Amino acid sequence: MPILNSVYRHREAGHVLTELVAYRAAGGFAAIEQSIGEMEPDDLLYVFHRSGLRGRGGAGFPMGRKASFLPKDAKLAKYVVCNADESEPGTFKDREIIEMNPFQLIEGMVLAGYAIGADRGYIYIRGEYEHQARVLDAALIAAREAGFLGDNILRSDFSYDITLYRGAGAYICGEETGLLESLEGKRGQPRLKPPFPAVAGLYSSPTLINNVETLSALPPIVTQGADWYAALGPEKSPGTKIFSVSGHVQRPGNYEVVLGETTLRELIYEHAGGLREGHQVKAVWVGGSSVPVLGAMHLDTPLDYESLNAAGTFLGSGGCIVMDDSGCIVRATLRLASFYRHESCGKCTPCREGTNWMERILQRMVDGEGRMEDLELLESLFGRISGKVLCALADGAVAPVASAIKMFREDFVAAVTDGGTPRPAPMSVVEVR
Amino acid sequence: MADYAPVDLAADNLVTFELNGRTVSAPAGTMLVDAAYAAGVEIPIFCYEPRLGPPIGACRMCLVEIEGMRGLQTACSTPVTEDMVVRTNSPMAKDAQDGVLEMLLAQHPLDCPVCDKGGECPLQDRTFKFGPGKSRFIEPKRHFPKPIELSSRIALDRERCISCFRCVRFSQDVAQDGQLTMQERGARSEITTFTGDAYEARFSGNITDICPVGALTSIPYRFVARPWDITNTPSVCGSCPVGCNTELTTRDGELKRITGRDTPNVAVEEGWLCDKGRWGYDIAMSPNRLSAPVVREAVGDRTVSIEDGVAAAASLLTGRRVGILLGGAVTLEEAGIALDLATNGTLDNAVVARLGVASGNCAPVRAATGAQLGDIDAADLVVIVGGDPAAQQPIVELRVRKARRFGARVIGCGARPHALESLGDFTRTAPGHLADGMMGLADAISNAARPVVLWDEADLASDPGAIAALTALLAASPHATQLMLGADVNGVGLSALGVSTTGLFEAIAADEVDAVICVHADPLEAAGSIAWQAVFDGFRGPVIAIATYASAMTERADLVLPALTMWEQEGTLVSMTHRAQRLRPGAAGPAQAAAGWELLIAIAHHLGHPPAYRTAASAFTHTVASHPAFFGMTTDLIGTDGVVIGAWPADDVSPAAIVADPDHLVLVATRDTFGDDMTARSHALRTAVSAPVLRMHPATAQALWLNEHDHAVLISDVGSSSALPVLCDARVAEGLIVGPLGAPGSPIEGALSRNQHQAIVRVERT
Repeated sequence: MPILNSVYRHREAGHVLTELVAYRAAGGFAAIEQSIGEMEPDDLLYVFHRSGLRGRGGAGFPMGRKASFLPKDAKLAKYVVCNADESEPGTFKDREIIEMNPFQLIEGMVLAGYAIGADRGYIYIRGEYEHQARVLDAALIAAREAGFLGDNILRSDFSYDITLYRGAGAYICGEETGLLESLEGKRGQPRLKPPFPAVAGLYSSPTLINNVETLSALPPIVTQGADWYAALGPEKSPGTKIFSVSGHVQRPGNYEVVLGETTLRELIYEHAGGLREGHQVKAVWVGGSSVPVLGAMHLDTPLDYESLNAAGTFLGSGGCIVMDDSGCIVRATLRLASFYRHESCGKCTPCREGTNWMERILQRMVDGEGRMEDLELLESLFGRISGKVLCALADGAVAPVASAIKMFREDFVAAVTDGGTPRPAPMSVVEVR
Repeated sequence: MADYAPVDLAADNLVTFELNGRTVSAPAGTMLVDAAYAAGVEIPIFCYEPRLGPPIGACRMCLVEIEGMRGLQTACSTPVTEDMVVRTNSPMAKDAQDGVLEMLLAQHPLDCPVCDKGGECPLQDRTFKFGPGKSRFIEPKRHFPKPIELSSRIALDRERCISCFRCVRFSQDVAQDGQLTMQERGARSEITTFTGDAYEARFSGNITDICPVGALTSIPYRFVARPWDITNTPSVCGSCPVGCNTELTTRDGELKRITGRDTPNVAVEEGWLCDKGRWGYDIAMSPNRLSAPVVREAVGDRTVSIEDGVAAAASLLTGRRVGILLGGAVTLEEAGIALDLATNGTLDNAVVARLGVASGNCAPVRAATGAQLGDIDAADLVVIVGGDPAAQQPIVELRVRKARRFGARVIGCGARPHALESLGDFTRTAPGHLADGMMGLADAISNAARPVVLWDEADLASDPGAIAALTALLAASPHATQLMLGADVNGVGLSALGVSTTGLFEAIAADEVDAVICVHADPLEAAGSIAWQAVFDGFRGPVIAIATYASAMTERADLVLPALTMWEQEGTLVSMTHRAQRLRPGAAGPAQAAAGWELLIAIAHHLGHPPAYRTAASAFTHTVASHPAFFGMTTDLIGTDGVVIGAWPADDVSPAAIVADPDHLVLVATRDTFGDDMTARSHALRTAVSAPVLRMHPATAQALWLNEHDHAVLISDVGSSSALPVLCDARVAEGLIVGPLGAPGSPIEGALSRNQHQAIVRVERT
């Protein structure tokens, strides 16, 4: 139930922290002062490790472990790359961090850079975040002027700066190797792994790549201690997580909660103000659009990695899209399928052709040209797309379709037998072309 | 094409693994697809092409099951390890293959009956072998206007493209021309150039060979033949001294296509061809092709049959002291027969000489351990001394770029700028001063583990200091190997037979010869053409030209015997890396023409001295028997891959040294493969032709009161050039002029001395 604004320090402060003095006044940069030149980098890395922080971008890989994969004796330069290509449908948590609390991200990147001995950091921000890029740029300049970036940070031996890079509008550039390709100036497409970015990432150098929220979680971990963080929520994956709630709720927005201490029902009905009068929950995509959909029966699931897995879905990015009973699950599924067809980079055959195929079939169902065998056809495609490709986009494309058909099969059958789906009044489906 | 990399099963680092229940071996690190193929198991692939660099795992066709690994793995990117257990035919793997093929075919048009690739299409073949047999895709397929011209030589049918990225990787990684890219994304991806302009590049045709579907096809070959009514013949290219291995496609006795071989020769071209080698064959049909013998008489020209032409030749030669001039591209057989006729009493004491660069003085460099082009791959240091390989020996460019990609350092020195200089550190030297540049390379060479030194034959031959310096460098670096960037197509072969560049000119001038036979040789269009013109002006005896194309000499000759092209005849050429390789005919040629060797044998018969051989093969056997460089060589031994010949005594003379000094300008002639007379006559290559220009530093031009595009002539003490436009290029050394050798009309040959590609000149504006 409790809100804990640890990453969202600006909410705790009650005002935006886009000025360096304001961030300092709110306790900012204490983590840098406490660690840079004061702690051994390995000790700092161990703090991250002990905190139990998992990657908040979607995959949930333990942050400290990922950082420990970087070779210690590499002769090449090392990089920290911040993934700010926040493009997951329904996800807008990083946007608020950058807009309201940019220095915490910068501070987190300096800490990560110090821990792995990085030479430079990069922030890859999605192209549409123009305003946010400006805020971040101004913050970077201020941090540099104040000596938190650049040569000999706080008169230590550690020199480190951050470059801001704007993407050009592709979902796939949020996939870490696609992002690295794009950052190198190439067409954004995932790379064959191994080698993983920790060994050969940006410009073939060891690279630590983390999400905005993950990196922004580091300063409080340093100031309040790994033990404090590790004690928040469930033992296996503790900490706070921001959920972006959108859709048919009264108070859409970001809510930072302690993992495991809030249920989905509480998130929707208490924090997000509940649904419109007279409506019930039909479907919830709790971790962005790339995860299996949940139904009303899952509302009492606690919001943490393990519980959501047990419910058949993933915590993902925390982009919680709520649809009430006025929505049409077939149309919503088509809308998501269109998104993935549009965003598939086209490198791997199953994803390139499969996302297109799924969209075409669903479109026919919506248009009243569906056949009963299309459901079996769709189901036979899932296994031929998912897990057969280089990156997770295909899994993300299959998950919402497969789960919707499994959970709301009668709606799909009705679309076939009733000659399509009626267009629900409040929900307008916009074709992405 | 060559989809799977060759696997060395005799290597000493073999690992043993289980493949579909069998125990097989392959060297550690071999990609599973290659190891399986070597063991007789075909794992289907589309994007994998080992020559393009590391695998990208895009098409997902090669998914296999490996015990202990989650899900399926791409066999193209999985190296074999000891005790690995692999299943390529398990239900899971087969379902994946089935699935990927179904996806690939979902939007692929089923226009195989009218597709040029049909019958030799990997997608078609693998669909039959691994595919589902039936499509469940009932949606409309994507449609594009078809086809569009990617260039004047390559058609692009975007509907057929399966986005394997092979062409893009070739352009970006192998040729590094940076032109091709994928546009749009997902199911709408399409191949295009960055700028939207035509894909004009010198190696562009290779993408038609590596395209696994009918998306990229050769425009000259479009709708010309089907795979079941063609014959493919392995041959070699005689367009430049590299000797790339080719495959000639023949239909109804006509040459229809040239491609790289299915099994590339990794020691030579690795399956890549330059566009000239691929598409230049249409000059065999050009208007200046000679198709019937011509007897030139006072009353006019008379066309005769080939029999009468040979008889006329014999009667012109009877009782005369004969000189035989061989062109730089004549085969070992033709040269061997000429030498035989000169010594066996047929043409008593005939003087035999060749046109081309005299480089006998380079023998000490040549004596060092020689490398093949394939050895460049493994080099850690590539040194380029003089020359302009990208222009003169095109395929060398791809090898050096490959070595660079693998991490080799590229260094060098030379008088003229060239395309490979951007790959490393190069110093500009004045002509005749290559040795100065080499001093700076010595440390790098001696510190390298596997250095390969590429040196330009023509540049070194006129720079004795450089020969001494390079000989010393190679002697001081035990690991270093050398590779000559040759000047003449069969220069090595002719030199190894002992055919000199001198003797005949002097004999004609001294009136010691009464009749001359030019075999594929036109001295009036070669270096020193003015001097040759002068001796032929004073020559009263008959001249017989055995030639393929009309030229200044076929106009001058008293008898012209039309000869076959390199695509129509048998023969042996020795490449610049000393590799003897066989020409095999892929076309018939005009009815009244014959191969040079056939004509020489026929003339001998008419002269009453039937030689001991009748065929090219027996002429070869006869020739090699008497020359030490070829001892023990047979056509069988040469086979399809060629054989490196042995050493031979250097008895050739050397040209004069050309040393730059501040008061004189130096002309360095460069044969741009795409700027020569042959390219200019090709219809297919019309957009690839580079125009002849005089390249010089802007300061040089300024000192000569020349502006860019002004026309100028070069005057040396042996003659002068035609007027050519000036092109300013700040990368050219000051005081140096780079001129086009072999360009249409032989514009600069008059200013050069015989057998030499450099000259001291002065410049006049016209």
